Amino acid sequence: MKRSAWACVVVLAAIAIAVLGWQFRPAGEPSSSGYAGLADSSGDFAVAGPHIELRFPQDHGPHPDYRIEWWYLTANLRGEDGRPFGVQWTLFRQALAPPTALATDDQPWSSRQLWMAHAAVSTPSDHYFAERFARGGIKQAGVRITPFAAWLDNWSLMAPPATRGLEHLEVTAQGDDFGYRLQLTAEGPLVRHGDGGFSQKSADGQGSMYYSQPFYRVSGEVRIAGESIAVSGRAWLDREWSSQLLGPGQSGWDWFSLHLDSGAKLMAFRLRGGGEANAGDYVSGSWISAQGQVTPLGDDQGDEELRLTPLAHSRVAGRRLPTAWRVEVPGHGLDFEVRARHPKQWMGTSFAYWEGMVAVEGSHAGVGYLEMTGY
Amino acid sequence: MTPARMAVLRTSLATLLSHYRRHPGQLAMLIVGLWVASALWSGVQAINASARDSYARAEALFSSDLDSITRRDGRPLSLDDYLTLRRAGLRVSPLVEGEWTSAAGDTLTLIGIDPLTLPDDAPLGRTESSAGSLRDWLLPPHRVRVAPDTAAQLNDATRLPPLEIDPALPPGTLVTDIGVAQRLLGFEGQLTRLVIAAERSAELPAGFVRTSAAVIASPGQLTESFHLNLTAMGLLALVVGLFIVHAALGLALEQRLGLLRTLRALGVPARTLIAALALELLVIGLVGAALGIASGVLLAQALLPDVAASLAELYDSNVGTTLALPWHYWLGGLVITLGGLFSAGASMLWRAARLNVLALGQAQAWRGRLRRQLGIQGWLGGVLLLVAALLWWRLSGRAGQQELALSFAMVAALLLGTALWLPPLLAGALRLAARRLRNRPLAQWAVADLQLQLPRLQLPMMALLLALATNLGVGSMVGGFRLTFLDWLDQRLLADLYVRPPAEQFDAVRDWLIERPEVATLLPARSSDATLIGSDSRNAGGTDTATPVKLFGIAPEPILRRHWPLLDTHAGREAAWRALAGGEAFINEQLARRHSLAPGDTLRLRTAQGTRRLSIAAIYPDYGNPSGEITLPVTRLASEFSAPPGSLGVVLAKDRASRDALMARLREGLAARFGLAGPTLIDQRSLKRSATEVFERTFAITQALNALTLGVAGLALLTTLLAQAETRRAQLAPLWALGVTRARLVGVQLAQLLAAATGTALLAVPLGLALSYALVAVINVAAFGWRLPLHVFPGQIAVTLMLALMVAALAALLPAWRLWRVPPRQLLQEFAAS
Repeated sequence: MKRSAWACVVVLAAIAIAVLGWQFRPAGEPSSSGYAGLADSSGDFAVAGPHIELRFPQDHGPHPDYRIEWWYLTANLRGEDGRPFGVQWTLFRQALAPPTALATDDQPWSSRQLWMAHAAVSTPSDHYFAERFARGGIKQAGVRITPFAAWLDNWSLMAPPATRGLEHLEVTAQGDDFGYRLQLTAEGPLVRHGDGGFSQKSADGQGSMYYSQPFYRVSGEVRIAGESIAVSGRAWLDREWSSQLLGPGQSGWDWFSLHLDSGAKLMAFRLRGGGEANAGDYVSGSWISAQGQVTPLGDDQGDEELRLTPLAHSRVAGRRLPTAWRVEVPGHGLDFEVRARHPKQWMGTSFAYWEGMVAVEGSHAGVGYLEMTGY
Repeated sequence: MTPARMAVLRTSLATLLSHYRRHPGQLAMLIVGLWVASALWSGVQAINASARDSYARAEALFSSDLDSITRRDGRPLSLDDYLTLRRAGLRVSPLVEGEWTSAAGDTLTLIGIDPLTLPDDAPLGRTESSAGSLRDWLLPPHRVRVAPDTAAQLNDATRLPPLEIDPALPPGTLVTDIGVAQRLLGFEGQLTRLVIAAERSAELPAGFVRTSAAVIASPGQLTESFHLNLTAMGLLALVVGLFIVHAALGLALEQRLGLLRTLRALGVPARTLIAALALELLVIGLVGAALGIASGVLLAQALLPDVAASLAELYDSNVGTTLALPWHYWLGGLVITLGGLFSAGASMLWRAARLNVLALGQAQAWRGRLRRQLGIQGWLGGVLLLVAALLWWRLSGRAGQQELALSFAMVAALLLGTALWLPPLLAGALRLAARRLRNRPLAQWAVADLQLQLPRLQLPMMALLLALATNLGVGSMVGGFRLTFLDWLDQRLLADLYVRPPAEQFDAVRDWLIERPEVATLLPARSSDATLIGSDSRNAGGTDTATPVKLFGIAPEPILRRHWPLLDTHAGREAAWRALAGGEAFINEQLARRHSLAPGDTLRLRTAQGTRRLSIAAIYPDYGNPSGEITLPVTRLASEFSAPPGSLGVVLAKDRASRDALMARLREGLAARFGLAGPTLIDQRSLKRSATEVFERTFAITQALNALTLGVAGLALLTTLLAQAETRRAQLAPLWALGVTRARLVGVQLAQLLAAATGTALLAVPLGLALSYALVAVINVAAFGWRLPLHVFPGQIAVTLMLALMVAALAALLPAWRLWRVPPRQLLQEFAAS
């Protein structure tokens, strides 16, 4: 599994460079592509903005005129013996060319849409992951609105027949040495981040359309190296699409989705670089009450203050990553530490990043997921 | 080394080399010998290296641990089939493969891939990691990857996507995105096969079959024999060339013995002298190797298109027509040439090292030495011939692919052993002759003089023997093969016209043809594929294999039953045909030999319709076909193996009008009624013509190399004669002084050489026949899987004898002419000097 993953990295390095221009640039040198090319200018693609109103269930489906989009599920689980497990299921859609290009979306084999899926299971001391690719137009991968279904090959995130929306879902994926099948039930409403669903990502004003369903209760089973483990816990689904996620000079992000024991949730991110001399990190987030009310946090005018401070670093896959953080939201009396369960939760996929379960301790306790890209 | 010793070395080297200034002919002979030896060897090696490079590329591309998945019912795979398997969690990747014809008329293999699902490190999916490559690949105008040698011949900018050069691809292959390939091939919605990483196990749904990558025959294995053949020819040329070198070096040493003694007497240490001689060898070797390798590459360039065509026809494998030479090729050429030179020069160095400073020229000592040397040669030759006989005994009857190297070893031992026997035999013949010529002084002198020349002449004569024998052996093998092959073609191609209608018209065309008065008999044929999974043989016991075989369906009409060639049957020809009708099968010779099958044995086959057991009724020859084939009645192939419609052979009525008129009428009718023309109608005559062309081309290389070897042998003789011309003059001068005219002396010289050449040629005849027999009975069986009857062509033998005499006469002509022109004054001087 590790071997094939690395072979994937080699073979599909072309994709990394081609589609995304994966590179690390020292701060201070303006970059036009950022992590995974997400800072490429939007060109002829549709542009996310505060004027766009989210509509459901339509917006659960794909937005092919935007460059990039994802269906991103993370779950913090426990086995019956209390051991913590983490599960990730992600479907990425990438448009290789704007809608004006010659290729169409549904022509078999010559679609401009590219699909990529990542699946991972974190155990208390280990990490398993896999990735798959498919092109659009042949129904090998796709997203259907009603009843909701997102899939690539036999990896799927699917609502039961004759349902609308995302209240009940079943998610499944299998790698060579791991797999899972989980049932999800939403216990709260959908949450729009930022300005009614437009989440600004830099001082320049570009950003993404972004909403979440953070209230899933989960049960099911995780299979690791042939062993089946019954698990239960919480899950968080992120939906996001954009044509230019990062601003010029931004190199990557640190992203938190936390379930606090009080029932409240916190989403927070820091985009590194950009702004004046690429020195200004852009910080933003959402405080979500147990009932689903959202308070925007961050740098923008009128937002409550949010501070994210790295506390300790770990050496992972030849990189230095901050795996312990201090998170402060003075307005809500939040001041706690977020620590990775273990640093080995590295996604050695074609676009490599760190994605793993974390524990919260301090003014509040809880669990969650941390994502770090562009290191 | 001290400066003083350096100076001594330099002076000795200059002194030694000054010999060549006085005898430029010897230097030329040395260089020419090295040059031709190394040129032929490097030429053959260049061809082999280029072909191997092509196979390696093809093998890496096609059988690189990718298993194939196809539908059990043989229909093309659809997109839905692909999705079904992907949804079941199988990590298969779709592939489209077909023949695509360029604007220039070249047929290329076009492969469409999906880089997103191709198993990890498959070479097919390797893309240049330049920015934008995946986007360029997936989006219009897309890209097509092609090897540099193929790109050079492609100029189809209008129909193909922009080219991307990929040196790892085999020649004649285009790789592009699957969508583009479907469009270019007209395969919209179809997939040729699905591939899956070989190490990945998978539970396939019922309707699909998986073929292991290991079963797909690699071109490298099949063609190995062909290349071994070429290598053997190259080696022969190298040996013949080294004979020249050895002769030249021996002569150069002989004439410098006095010089060497003087140098030693002047205080040059023996070690310095040897170093100087070795240095001289190295310099000459480097010059010869450089010349040889350069001309070898030129030679290979000239021959490669023919080799590529042969390989394509024989084994269906693509070989680039431009040379691709790895670094080790150049190094290898140099090492072989220098190694050959030093092995030829070793005796010279040895003799120089043991030089007796005080010994004076011992004119008569040669006699004793020669006798000793001939004795050793006789022994050595005897041992080699014994080895050859033992190998022959071991190989006869059971020659497989793996025995090929042994077969060549046997031939090498046979050739070398006989060559070593040549000088003792010639010496013996001369002794006999000398006894008979007691009363004719001049003739007696000529015989004695020829004995004196023997040490010099023996090497070029051995070279001539080898060249003549191979010429004769290969010539009669090819000649015999041609006869057998043409005969076989006549037996197999019974129909006057072959019609290959589209599948949907097949029945209508057949019914129409049956009704036509021009048609005497209709011979429909179909073919299909199967896998031979085992056999129950009475001789070899049971075997389990998984070999792809071709199923061929024939119509056992009376005319076919009369002519179809059969090699071996279970119970006679008639019984075999009855058995075929009764459910048994015929198999081709290749299949029979590879699996040690005989009539009466049983085959187990896996086909799309399940497994079958077939009993073997007869074995038939199938020249030119690299793979195993099983023949059944066409009706059975259609009903039981669902073979698609194939061709219809039309035997024209004999008694009505002329063949051409009947043919024209039939062609008109087919064109008018069914719109059939062009490549769907094949005239038997053009089929035979192209088959014969293939045949000729296959052996063009062999014959070219043969002719070159004979040329080299002639050259060896010429250079030897030229080199010793001066010494000879000193020996002839006394005769002239005794009153023998120059014209008679020239005549004696010519007669001597012709006698030696005749002796050599007489020995070459049985050797050539033995070689020919080894080729048809052992080497061909191992290399191609078929055995040919031995044909002896007296005309060819006569031509070979004439050729030997002509070569000898031509070689002797120049020295003889020189002798003719020598002024009497010079002869007088030389007489006085001697």
